[in-house]
This record gives sequence, structure tokens and C-alpha cells, in this order.
Amino acid sequence: MHAMAENEKEILETIGEQEYKYGFTSAIETETIGKGLSEEVVRLISAKKGEPEWMTQRRVAAYRHWLTLEPPTWAHLKIPEIDFQDIIYYAAPKARKMLGSMDEVDPELKRTFDKLGIPLEEQMALSGVAVDAVMDSVSVKTTFKETLAEKGIIFCSISEALRDHPDLVKKYLGSVVPYTDNFYAALNAAVFSDGSFCYIPKGVRCPMELSTYFRINAAGTGQFERTLIVADEGAYVSYLEGCTAPQRDENQLHAAVVEIVVERDAEVKYSTVQNWYPGDKEGRGGVYNFVTKRGLCRENARLSWTQVETGSAITWKYPSCILAGDNSVGEFYSVAMTNNYQQADTGTKMIHIGRNTRSRIVSKGISAGQSENSYRGLVRVARGAENARNYSQCDSLLIGDRCGAHTFPVIDSRNPTAVVEHEATTSKISDDQLFYCNQRGLSTEDAVGLIVNGYAREVLAKLPMEFAVEAQKLLALQLEGTVG
Amino acid sequence: MERILEIIGELRKAGPELLRVEAPVPQTYAAVDPDHLRVELTRGAAAGLVVVHTKAGVVRLDVELGEGAQFDLTEIFLGETFAEVALKQEGRSCCRVTTVELSSANASYRIDLNGAGAENTLNGVFLATEKDHCVVRLHTAHNVPDCTSASCVKGVADDEAVGEFSGLVYVARDAQRTDARQQSRNVLLSERAHIETMPQLEIYADDVKCSHGATVGQMDSDAILYMRQRGLSEAQARALQIEGFVGDIVRRCGVEPLGEALMSLAAEKLER
Amino acid sequence: MLSVKNLHATVEGKEILRGINLEVKAGEVHAIMGPNGSGKSTLASVLAGNEKFTVTEGSVEFLGHDLLSMSIEDRARLGLFLGFQYPVEIPGVTMANFMKLAVNEQRKYRGEEPLSAAEFLRLMKEKSAVVELSSKLTARAVNEGFSGGEKKKNEIFQMAMLDPKLAILDETDSGLDIDALRIVATGVTKLHTAENATVVITHYQRLLDYIVPDVVHVLYKGRIIYTGDKTLALKLEKEGYDWLINQYDK
Repeated sequence: MHAMAENEKEILETIGEQEYKYGFTSAIETETIGKGLSEEVVRLISAKKGEPEWMTQRRVAAYRHWLTLEPPTWAHLKIPEIDFQDIIYYAAPKARKMLGSMDEVDPELKRTFDKLGIPLEEQMALSGVAVDAVMDSVSVKTTFKETLAEKGIIFCSISEALRDHPDLVKKYLGSVVPYTDNFYAALNAAVFSDGSFCYIPKGVRCPMELSTYFRINAAGTGQFERTLIVADEGAYVSYLEGCTAPQRDENQLHAAVVEIVVERDAEVKYSTVQNWYPGDKEGRGGVYNFVTKRGLCRENARLSWTQVETGSAITWKYPSCILAGDNSVGEFYSVAMTNNYQQADTGTKMIHIGRNTRSRIVSKGISAGQSENSYRGLVRVARGAENARNYSQCDSLLIGDRCGAHTFPVIDSRNPTAVVEHEATTSKISDDQLFYCNQRGLSTEDAVGLIVNGYAREVLAKLPMEFAVEAQKLLALQLEGTVG
Repeated sequence: MERILEIIGELRKAGPELLRVEAPVPQTYAAVDPDHLRVELTRGAAAGLVVVHTKAGVVRLDVELGEGAQFDLTEIFLGETFAEVALKQEGRSCCRVTTVELSSANASYRIDLNGAGAENTLNGVFLATEKDHCVVRLHTAHNVPDCTSASCVKGVADDEAVGEFSGLVYVARDAQRTDARQQSRNVLLSERAHIETMPQLEIYADDVKCSHGATVGQMDSDAILYMRQRGLSEAQARALQIEGFVGDIVRRCGVEPLGEALMSLAAEKLER
Repeated sequence: MLSVKNLHATVEGKEILRGINLEVKAGEVHAIMGPNGSGKSTLASVLAGNEKFTVTEGSVEFLGHDLLSMSIEDRARLGLFLGFQYPVEIPGVTMANFMKLAVNEQRKYRGEEPLSAAEFLRLMKEKSAVVELSSKLTARAVNEGFSGGEKKKNEIFQMAMLDPKLAILDETDSGLDIDALRIVATGVTKLHTAENATVVITHYQRLLDYIVPDVVHVLYKGRIIYTGDKTLALKLEKEGYDWLINQYDK
């Protein structure tokens, strides 16, 4: 017994030895404005992007509101004090001429993508995925635009959308996550630099997965991405967001906002693989990932969030569904893995407003090293949400005895016909499982990887195929190089 | 209520400030509306205690159980009492708590399992009707290895009542082989009633069995239909169902005739 | 093939094996019988390398290797298979995925190329026929939601997949109905060749109706107290262990 326990301990300790694979920076020239935040900076960002006056006004209003707010402290997180005046709020790769084809993409940028294992050409050729590659804060290259345009689908950067489709942006931006929502949403609304805009017209099924790769690149640059997805009546889209970030010593703040509008009979699947730099083994550096993600579902609409969270030093993130329309459906599938000194406080909110609304939550937390991993969820059933149904399953897997795994769900029901169920369990990888796998010839490292992927399978299976493979690799990556 | 006080009246009086028990042969004590009662069971002692709260106000109960002590606590809330109960358990001590709220009330339990092999079982019921606001809070701390805790709190909210449950299971670093279970089961009976439940796990040890579950739902309407087909009124059928829902917990309380008396009080409350 | 000499082992300070001597040659089938608590399962666990047990004395040679100095997985890769009495459930991990890793780890150990997906699927199909294991079960997670009989069949299926030199089957007959017993036993017999060996640990004679042993050992209080041929099993079935035990305890 003791021998096994020792052995396991050793292995689990060495899990932390895995260095960050994608820790490199690319040397693209970057144009930045000075550190610090003021109304002038907000106006400057808006001016640099050539935005219409109403957008500038919204940014300024958001900034003024932000000044009245304090950072939230209710999460189970230890967040070092952030000096918001010590952040650069705008960085853009220096504008070159407009790009007409792949050949014109900066060779340095292409090399960066190659290192990440996501060559644009291959993705275009093999998987039919349109990639809107966001390098730092400004969209550099958008592909497949023509194919999408035929269907009337708009997939571009928010800046372009503001220029080319101002009415759509004006109608939907801030409609699901208003700047008054929370501290980081207000900050984002004031200073967001760029992001993606996606509009699927009525009755259109988007023929391919839409994908955006985010990267933090310039040292000390805060990232304030803004994503807006609108699926008009009867439309369908599957949207992928994934990121890997270069290794940095200093902390980087990332406060993105994702808004999704799912109109009547429409469906949106939003999948994320999050692998921001988590800091080193001692917990130095790493990205602070404070994200507000929310979708609004109209009648018969369906919104499905799937996330695999392996990166960031601190994650604060609750992709939510407002089930406003009757018969709408919200889903949340999550794997959150923390190692070393990472902290994650993540979960979802399901707000049932319409009748016969359904929601399902499957959360799989994995904690290793000295990390802290919390699920936080809210299921609210409003008075009028007749026959609403929710089922939540939240599991925690602990690897080693120095980490923490926590579950904080809230159920708030005001309708007697609603049924809300929540279950949570905690487990570890048992000695018996390891012995069984060893006896079949598997190394302990492989066994741990296998068991963890098996534990997360229900969620991984919800990801689009190519993403699922990447996610499995990411989970294995954190468990690699572990056998002593 | 009279019936309950009558049953209580036959028991030994505890307090008013201190109940200290050294005897290993269990005896049941009673206290009505104590302000601040301390209960101490020395090593190997055994006792039962029934506390009835009938008045608005803040009440404090401190319980310390020595090694191997056995304690059975029943708390009955009939007035708008705000009760804070702190339970500290040494090794191999065993404590069973039953709490029944038949009026607005706020009962907070802080349970510290401080010695290996300590066991705590807490069962609770609240029946919130009209404009009642019933609250049950639970903080169970597994501070050392090899302790067991199990809790089940069932709530019913009717009319414009509000029911709240919040329960935290805390497992300290190195409190290995902890076995902790928590259940929150709730039924909403009216469109104006409101239930909020927050079961929570905070775990810092890996070799543990911890689980919690929470549900908010309604009574099985097929069963109501079935009973009505056999000639029961809808109100009768519903009352029977609710009785069945909370009955197992209420009847399991420490003193035998008390369970039945509480059930008839509950039935009266539901009929109103 | 296997040579166990004076093997002593303890668990939590308590001595369970107290000087086991056992020689198994290629092509042989051995049965190890004995009353409850005699150390049968411990012997199997110690040979497989379960770290719950501490070997305090003795040596084990397997195919020319010092078995006791090897890790659990290397023993397995070398060709030692343990059929578990209580196979553990591994949620979410499919049998196919699990076996693919196990088979290819063994191949890597032998310096062979990994099997392609097609070759592997062919092998799965071929081997699952040995124990009449439905292909539905191989698509499910390892032992998850399997009945007792299915779990045991699954053990023999894995044995077929890994083609071990020495298979130790720990109480493979427990919890099996007659049909499942026949299927499992027939599977084991089919897999038996002149190059491999099988050690069957069992409580009852009935498994030995199907798997005919060359040698039968009786284990008692951590020692092999009697060794005979297949007729010994029949005698034990009829007369119980008492005549042997009484002799030994004197």
C-alpha cells in the first residue's frame, strides 16, 4: 500500500515538471500606445480604429461606469492586486497593405502558427475551417470569406463590422452583456481593441465550423477581445475558439466578452479550448483570464457551451444562457484542469425565463499540484418558467493531496412545476485502477492520462472532432513527462 | 403545540445554562426557549436533548462531545427563532441531530469534527407556508482524517413562503478518508413560493468520499391522481404526500411520541 | 518458465506467504487450490507486482528475468497476465482504447512496430470471438456496468489480446453461471499452447472439469502443503481439505 502511494505521489508531483510547450514569442513589429487608462485613452482607441461617434460615446459611458466599480471578490480565488494604470490598452501589428491572399501573410506570423501546429493553409485545405486569426488585438487575416459571403454569412473582425455593418453591431453589441454587467465587462466595453463578429442570416446553416485563434503577443499588452455572434431565426453555426499564448514572466490580464444572440429556432454551438500560459511551476506569471460569456436564447433556440480549460494562472469565467424564449435549451459542458499554482473558478448560469425551457450542466474538474479548482453555478427558475427542467452533474477529480476541489452551486426556483436537480461527486485515481492498467502493460503515466481522458470523455465528446483531438492532447500535455 | 410541551414536560430539565453529562447510560433532557445553553458530554457519556424554540429572538447552543460520547439532539422551531448551534466532536464521538422548522426560523449549525472516527448525522425538515421564511444553514468541517458526516434536509414551500438551505462540507488538508454526504431535497407547492438551495463542497484532501445532491421540484402528480381516483380529495392526497416526504425524518427524532405529535402539527399547518 | 523459491510476503506487517516453492514449465496447466485465506490471491498479486504486498524473502525467476525487481507493467509486457478476481471499473475509458494502448506497449517492449488501426480492429474481432464477447461490450468503458460474468469474460478476452506466456487466473470461476463458466473455460483452453502456461487459482473443482490441470497444488497457511495430479482435485471436491489440513496442522 505504502509503496504504491509513494510511487503515485512521486508521479503526481512530477506532473508539474511539464514545461510550457508553446512558450515562444514572435517578433512582429507592434504599435502600441502608452500604459495607463483614462478617458483620453478610451477616445484614442476609438479614434485609432476610426469608429463612429455613437461607438465612442458607448466606450466613454462604459469607462465612466467602470470607474464606479470594484473588482469582484466573491470567487474562490486569490487575485493579486492589479494596477490598471500599468497596462497597455492598445497594441496592433503595424498596418501593412491589405492582404489579398495567403501568400501575403507575414512570414513571421505564418511561422508562429506553424509552431502552434495550426498552419492556415492546411486548415483551409483539410478541414474546411475558416480561420479569423487574431494576432494581438487586430484581425490580420480572414479566410473563406467568399464562401461565407455567398450564403450571406458575415464573419469578420468587430472593427470591420463597425465599418461595414454598423446597424447590426449597434443593434446587438451590448444587448446580452451590457457594460453595467460587471467590473471586467465594463472595462472591456470601454477599451476592447478587436475581436470577431459573426452573423448568420435567417434560415442559413453555416456550412463550416467558424474558428478564431487568439494569441497574446506583445509583452505587457492587455487583451480585451470582444466577440459578437448573432444567429438569426432558424440559423445554425458552430463556433470554435482556441488559444495558446507565448511564455511571459509578467502577468497578463485578459478580460474578454463574448455575446451570443440566438434568435427563434436558431442553434449555436460555442466550443473553447483555453490554453493561455498558466505561469511556471512556482506560480510565477501566467495569464489572468477574466471572461464574461453569455448567450440569449429566443423561442425554440438552443445554445451549447463546451469548454476545455487547461491554461491561465487565474480563470474567472461563467459562460451562461438566458433562456428567455419558450422551449429554448441551454447546455454547458466543461473540463477544467488546474496544475501547479493555477486557480480556476468557473461554471455557468442557466436563467430559465421561458416556459418548457431545458438546461443541462456537465462539469468535470481536475485538480493537481497545488492548484485550486472551483465549480460555481447558478440555476434560476423565474416565476413564469413553467415546466422548466435542469440537470447538473459536477464531478471533481483530485490528483495529489495538496490541491483543492470545490463545488458551489446555487439553485433558485420560483416555479412549482419546475424540476431542478444537481449532483456532485469527488474522486481520485485509485491505486486499484493504476494496478489494473500496469498489469496490462501500461506505464503509470499512460494510465493516468487514459483515466483522466476517460473521466472527461462525456465533455470531450461534445467538441467538434478536430478540436476534441487537440483537447485530448492538451490534457495529456499537462500529464506528460511524469514518470519517475 | 400543547401536546409537544406536555411530552417535553415529562423529560428531565436541562439548563438553564449548563448541561453536563458524565453517565454512559443515556437519558433524555429537555429545554424550552433557552437563551444560551452549554452542553458537555464527557468521555464515553451518552445523552439526548430536545430543545423547543417558541419565541422570536437569538438563541445559542454550544455542544462539546468528549471521546466516544453519544449525543442525540432534536430541535423544534415553533416561533421565529434565530438559533446558532456549535457542535464540537472528539474522536469516535457520535452525534445525531434532527431539526424541524414548523414556522419561520433560522437554524445555523456549525459542526467541527476534531477527532478521528467522529460521526455526525443531521436530518432536517422545514415546512414553510403563508409568509414563512425558513432557513437552515450547515457548515460541517472535517478537520481531521477518518470522520463521517451525512446530512439530509428536506424543505417544503407553499403560499408565499421562502425556504433557504445552505450547506458547506469542508474537508481540511490531510483529512484523508473523509466520508461526507449531503442532500438537499425541496418541493415547491405554489407559484408564489420560492426555494433557494446552496450545497457546497470545499475539499483539500484527495482520498475522500464526498458527494452532495440538491433537487427542487414538485410532488408526483400521477400519485395525486391515483389517490383521487380512490376517493381522496386533492388536499388530502397532497397532505399525505407531503407527510410521506418529511415523515421519515420527523418520525426519526429522538423521543418517540414527539415524532407523531410533530406530524399532526405539520398536518394542521398544511391544512390551514 | 516460472521458478518461485521460498517466497515470503507480508501485508501491513502480517505474513501471508510463508515459503512458496513452485516450478511451472511451458505447456503446463497448474491449479492452485486451498481454503479461504490460505494466500492464493496474495500469491497471484505478488507475482504480478502489487505494491500492497512486501516481499520479505525468496526469489522469482520468470523467462530468465528476476521478476521481483521488475515494475508491474514490465512484468506484464514480458508476458505475465493476471486475470483479476475483481476487475476494476475505469469510467469513460473504452475497451478499444485501453487494449490498443496495452497491445502496442507490449509490442514496443518487444521492439515491434505498433499495430495499425485496421490490424488492431481485426485482432479485436478475432479475439472477442474466443470468449463470445459481444462487440457491444468492447465498445463500452472498461468493466463499467459489466455483469460479473461479463467482467470475467472480458478478462479472458484481454488475455487473448495480449497472448501472455504465463496466465494466472485468480478465481476466474467465482460468480459465474454454468454457461459463462463453460465459455470462460473453453476460452482458456483454446488459448493454451505448448509455448505458454496457465496457473488457475480456484476454490472449486468445477472449473477443472473444463480446464484439465497437469499439476494440482494445495495452498494452506501460506505454504504449498501438497502437490498431486488432476485426481487430487476430485478427491478434494469429495472429501474437502480437512484430511490434508489435519495432517499438516499436526
